[in-house]
Amino acid sequence: MLKHMATSFQSVAAVLSKDVQSELRVRYAINALVMFILTSVSTILFALRYERPTPTLFAGLYWVVVFFSAMSGLSRAFVGEEERGTSLTLRLIATPAAIYAGKLVANTILTLLLASAVTVLYLLTFPGFSVQSYDIFVVTVLLGAVGIAAATTILAAMIAKAQARGALFPVLSFPVLIPLFMTVLDATDKALSGDDFGEAFGDFQVLAGYAMVMIAGSALLFAEVWND
Amino acid sequence: MIDFFRANQLYIVLAIVLLIWAGIVAYLIALDRKVRKLEQSLRKD
Amino acid sequence: MKIVRAAAITLVTLVLVAGIAIPMTASPKGWLEFPTIRGLEQNARNIFFHVPIAWTTLVAFLVSMFYAVRYLQTKRAEYDIRSVASASLGFMFCFLATVTGALWARFNWGSFWNWDPRETSIFILLLIYGAYFTLRSALESEETRARLSAVYAVVAGLTAPFFLFLMPRLMGGLHPGSKDDAGGNGPVLDFKMSPNMLTLFFIGLIAFNLLFVWMLDIRVRVGMLEDYRTRHKD
Repeated sequence: MLKHMATSFQSVAAVLSKDVQSELRVRYAINALVMFILTSVSTILFALRYERPTPTLFAGLYWVVVFFSAMSGLSRAFVGEEERGTSLTLRLIATPAAIYAGKLVANTILTLLLASAVTVLYLLTFPGFSVQSYDIFVVTVLLGAVGIAAATTILAAMIAKAQARGALFPVLSFPVLIPLFMTVLDATDKALSGDDFGEAFGDFQVLAGYAMVMIAGSALLFAEVWND
Repeated sequence: MIDFFRANQLYIVLAIVLLIWAGIVAYLIALDRKVRKLEQSLRKD
Repeated sequence: MKIVRAAAITLVTLVLVAGIAIPMTASPKGWLEFPTIRGLEQNARNIFFHVPIAWTTLVAFLVSMFYAVRYLQTKRAEYDIRSVASASLGFMFCFLATVTGALWARFNWGSFWNWDPRETSIFILLLIYGAYFTLRSALESEETRARLSAVYAVVAGLTAPFFLFLMPRLMGGLHPGSKDDAGGNGPVLDFKMSPNMLTLFFIGLIAFNLLFVWMLDIRVRVGMLEDYRTRHKD
């Protein structure tokens, strides 16, 4: 049992490191995403100028940028494998569960990087954007990123088999992610207005529950999507 | 128009019932079209 | 199915007639008079039509998800046909619930749309159905289409408890059973009606669900014939 777990852990790590390495070699996605974030944040900056938005509005502006950059970043998770024809090799060397876990971790890291980049940009460029309760903010972004990756990894595997991939991904993801967004927006609003940590606890429970349900469900269903 | 509906609320109920009826009819028409297509493809051979 | 059909037709007719014809008075005497509910007046009659439609939407969604799971277990095309049939009916009922709800909201709460939690959840359901049919149209191979759309139905179904039961509890809203509705019994079950209204309401629930079962049966039979037709092309 232990040995089995160790080998499956190794294959998860192998899938993850393969993804990270091929990403670092080409830097296609990272460069595109950095430009995407810069473009959208500066558009918001031009639009706002000297306005001072409320915390509620800032929470919305923050997650809009994170959502759309995550949409363009995460949709590539499996499309690349199909295009390069590497999905067959991947199918031979690792179990569906290991591939799902590896991709999930890779997507979580990518979403976290995106969210951190957006956070830094917002803090530097918006005078009105100040996080009052950093503890709420950090937990919200962490759970939010895990939740986004948990819900969309299996959808990314699905769109790799379909036509009109790029357009389909947000269409499929948005309805599934709305419960997460409503909770995350509420918690971010609390973080920006300086509430106590305890007040956001209900939101955190919902976010953690959401991530767990989506990971468990996707892990069960992933083999159905992955195996032809 | 809005004042009329406020004064005669039963007409809103009527509108809602008609909407439901319209939806069911629209579904039936779509189903009818499906069946007709099937019939035509069967008649061909 | 003949019994279902007879019962559906009889009960829907009964609810339509009784729901509109029974008079409303401030002090109802006997079984054939409804009490006037303050703030709703004649609009209270919508409870017999709008609410069962909204419930049927949810039932159709669950039935569709059930057959999606059955399909993934057995890979029999029949279950895919049943799943799509239920989803297409659910889409229709979802649309009707949204439109009738918006119309009612315009005259009781002031505007067509208020982003109350229950309105939000029906909107999410509408989006899920839209995404489901978009996904189906983007997949060419029949087998892949059935398999992936079944997976999507299950994934979307997993989020249902969050937007149906959790969020209405967390947020304030206008429907009965929202967070700041002090006397509410819960997000879904809240009946502060007189016994005769309650009875008619339950008959309405059963009636529209039977109508759904009957329509589903017809839609499934057409789907089966279409499937047979594509398999035996000449």
